[in-house]
Amino acid sequence: MSTPLRDAALRHLHALGAADAPGAVRRLTMDIEVDGRVELVTLTLRDGELQCISSDGQIAGPHVMAALRFVAALDPHEDSSPPGPAVAAARRSLEPGPPSDLADALDDLLTAVTRVGVDKAQHAPSVDAALERVVDAAPKPTPTGLGRFIGRLQHELRAGELHRTVRLLDGASRLADALRLERPDNESERRIGAWLGARAGSTPEVELLSDRTMIEVGREWLSGTERATVERRYLIDVHSGAAFREDRPRLAKASLGPCPRQLHVGLAEIEAGPSPQRIRVLQYEVQTGVPTESWERLHQVASRSFAEVTDRYRHAVQSYPSLAEPFVLVAPYRIDHDEVFKAFDPEGHQLLLNRSERRGAVLAFYDLLADGMEPSWLAGRLTDVGGAVCLTPFAVGSRDRVYARL
Amino acid sequence: MTQHTEIDFDVLEVCLRDGMAGNEHADPREALGCSEEAEDAEVARAMVRAFAAEALARVGTQGVDPEAARHPSVRPPTEVTADPSFLGRLSTTGTDWLSVERIDDVPTLVAVLRAGSRRQRRAALARLAEQVRDRRLLQTDEVRKAIQTIHELRDVELGHELAQVRAELPGAKGRQARQEREHWKRLAERIEHEVLAFWEGQSTVEPIHVLPGDQRAFLLMRIAELSDTVVHHITAIIEGSDGCVPPESRIGLIASLRYATDRRLVPALTSVVEAERGELVAEAARVLGGIDDSRVQPILAERFERSFLVEERIALAGALGMHGDCRGLSEVRSSLEEDRPPRLLQALEAMESLGSSENIDVVAKFLGHGDVSIATQAVRTTARIGDGRVLEELTDRHNATSVPALRASIEDALLAIGARMELRGEEASAIDWSEVGNKPAPRKGARDRLPAIALGWRDYFMARLWLLLGRTTWAIARFESAAARRTGWAVPLIGIGMTFARREQYALALPAFRRAIEVDRPRIERNPILVRAMAKSFLHRAEQVEREGRDDVARGLVGEVLTLDLRRAPGTVRFELKRKHDVLRREESGDVHSAA
Repeated sequence: MSTPLRDAALRHLHALGAADAPGAVRRLTMDIEVDGRVELVTLTLRDGELQCISSDGQIAGPHVMAALRFVAALDPHEDSSPPGPAVAAARRSLEPGPPSDLADALDDLLTAVTRVGVDKAQHAPSVDAALERVVDAAPKPTPTGLGRFIGRLQHELRAGELHRTVRLLDGASRLADALRLERPDNESERRIGAWLGARAGSTPEVELLSDRTMIEVGREWLSGTERATVERRYLIDVHSGAAFREDRPRLAKASLGPCPRQLHVGLAEIEAGPSPQRIRVLQYEVQTGVPTESWERLHQVASRSFAEVTDRYRHAVQSYPSLAEPFVLVAPYRIDHDEVFKAFDPEGHQLLLNRSERRGAVLAFYDLLADGMEPSWLAGRLTDVGGAVCLTPFAVGSRDRVYARL
Repeated sequence: MTQHTEIDFDVLEVCLRDGMAGNEHADPREALGCSEEAEDAEVARAMVRAFAAEALARVGTQGVDPEAARHPSVRPPTEVTADPSFLGRLSTTGTDWLSVERIDDVPTLVAVLRAGSRRQRRAALARLAEQVRDRRLLQTDEVRKAIQTIHELRDVELGHELAQVRAELPGAKGRQARQEREHWKRLAERIEHEVLAFWEGQSTVEPIHVLPGDQRAFLLMRIAELSDTVVHHITAIIEGSDGCVPPESRIGLIASLRYATDRRLVPALTSVVEAERGELVAEAARVLGGIDDSRVQPILAERFERSFLVEERIALAGALGMHGDCRGLSEVRSSLEEDRPPRLLQALEAMESLGSSENIDVVAKFLGHGDVSIATQAVRTTARIGDGRVLEELTDRHNATSVPALRASIEDALLAIGARMELRGEEASAIDWSEVGNKPAPRKGARDRLPAIALGWRDYFMARLWLLLGRTTWAIARFESAAARRTGWAVPLIGIGMTFARREQYALALPAFRRAIEVDRPRIERNPILVRAMAKSFLHRAEQVEREGRDDVARGLVGEVLTLDLRRAPGTVRFELKRKHDVLRREESGDVHSAA
């Protein structure tokens, strides 16, 4: 099927006599014919992860498989010449190093931190060396999941935050276990995918979404192996209230538009993974002014039970201790801000603000309260401080002011 | 490994916090039920698993940790300038006993309007506007003087606030301000439609960065009045998520927002300060310095502490100074004390917000700098510091310089310093304007003979007539003829310049304006209409040649016009000229590409 095309390309290349030119293939779009039916297949390399989709909406259909076989040079080939250097290079870049190296490096990191103790780990050379080994053993470029783990670990070590540091290390040890399995089960495969991206030969677990309306309520720059390596945008589905994250690594492309904005999503992929689930918006329309009805809709779909929010938080962190950074939209039943801001649900459960991060946003939120704002909903990232679930605020809405980005 | 049903988590916490190695008081193996021979890696893993699970199970919503509950609105400690004077303690809000909002005395408010910090000036203007709105007070001498001051003030930093107050005033100038506002409204409506078309995919042209510089400055001067749609579009450009505006234009747009006070810009600007580097961070910090918002100071301070680029640090220090945080003062001062200070212009600008009387010496030494823009900035900084010791030196410089722009700056500085001394209760040494002088005196050539005068006027009126009839070429010829009859007569030359400027033929307008300036500069500098047309001609011509890639020529044009006294030109044009000058200067030193 595809051999004639490759042979024609080789002939054309010889005819042009072109020397090796620099450049990396990031996306391939191909017309693939299987059983007389032609579909358009797109293979995209994003942040070191391969995404495949055909125009009939399948991610592992016969057209996709044919395209993968072609790119991997596994299709029947008339001549026996080896595949070209570009194909080999692409394949190399997708393959991580031997898994046990990374697993060992992660275990070494865990051991190094526990040996010196969380309080002293920030300045310990053994911990620095262990972190370097983790980065060296990881696929290149460093996958976003692993990068985010390193960024978070360094942050928590600097803050001397025991509980969250231990939780991050727990997550790393689970990844090490998954990497050592000869035949990883679905859960292990999912875990490895969340940390390192889909492995060559494995099928990423992706759900397709279409015809949804989402509102971006906040965005922030997050650190990875370096500061500010990923811009994260938080999107809320106005019908379900589900929160998604759109991660844009530095210098990479993502959907366009300011924050806040309303997105009419024609087609998007949702990855199975840590909370909030990662979304890749493939087809969309942007509306820069968010209509009042959409804000009202957000208020309607916001969580009203803080006990449920806490349960979901616990579940998310339990599933992915190192990677989960849950984001929620809540509608407090009442608030109390005489001295300290507390939001209450109808059962009396309370939610506090996290003041250890985004200090300016917290101060601005207090200023809004002092100006008489009555929040009808709040959107923010969840964390726990001293055993209490806290919210780092990103956006607040009220009946009169409608919306304020913090 | 065997495991006890009961794990002592307190021991685990001690071990995890202080480390397993060498911890004599707590043994994790015992706490976890591991054998003595168990390896560290195995113990570490078991310890982390058990502790993490236990900690997560305890997470809830009922208990409130005292640490988490502590009120977060305690502002971070900052080094506040120890200025015990009236202005040093004068706040802008009504909560303090010494605040602008509580001042009723009009002369004091006018003095604050001239001599205060940007925030104090803004507050004083708002307070004056309240008094001017009271029709009963309009007839008093003090309020009349205040109105006159508001009309005369050429403070670019207060452009928006001044325009708003002027539009409320009676008389021709109020009418003119209202017309300007109507013009702005039409522009804003057009831009909003274009923004919507851009995001709906009907247009691929980003509407703001293609605007001429003065129009963009005019639009953004009133950003607080722009709709959410346009402001969110601007934030998309600031954050680089518009998909089409090149990075250098992004810098240009942020620089155009220098005096914006709109809080809607804060999240986008803080994201730039957090994630970008170099010129983008410096420009974003300068904008943030002028915005009153709780989010600003923490992010500026955090970035200042981890930044190592000189251009970033100086801009961040200046911006922090505007928020009362003077942690960057010593660094900026040290940089000015060097033999060849890096980023001299920016350091002098930062000193505007950081400096006090103790720093006047390091600033005053640049008053005689050969570069006019640096000398002008040094004058502006001394005006903000407001120390009476430099009055004499400024007067000397005023008498010695032949650069109109510098002289205009010194005149403004003398007024500001006088006002500051008055507010400090010092005897404001009355400035002897006769000594300050008004040089150079208009050139007095030989008187023209009567026939030459008559023929000159005849040619001039004929030129006007041809212009009315649309015969520009003939009109220009008549203007030239009139100018040739009387060599010291600037009126026909101005006519030529204005004709070409109206037709947007700026390359042809420039020589005429230059000749007119040579013959009778004060006539142009003192006439707001002429000075506006002349300044815009230079600006638009500079933009044209810059687009052709001739940056050196553009730099020369902007530098040339900035040596003139442009106080009567619109603030937006002055602002854009200065911005363009800064960009072209940086480009000359190879720091950035043109920021259009």
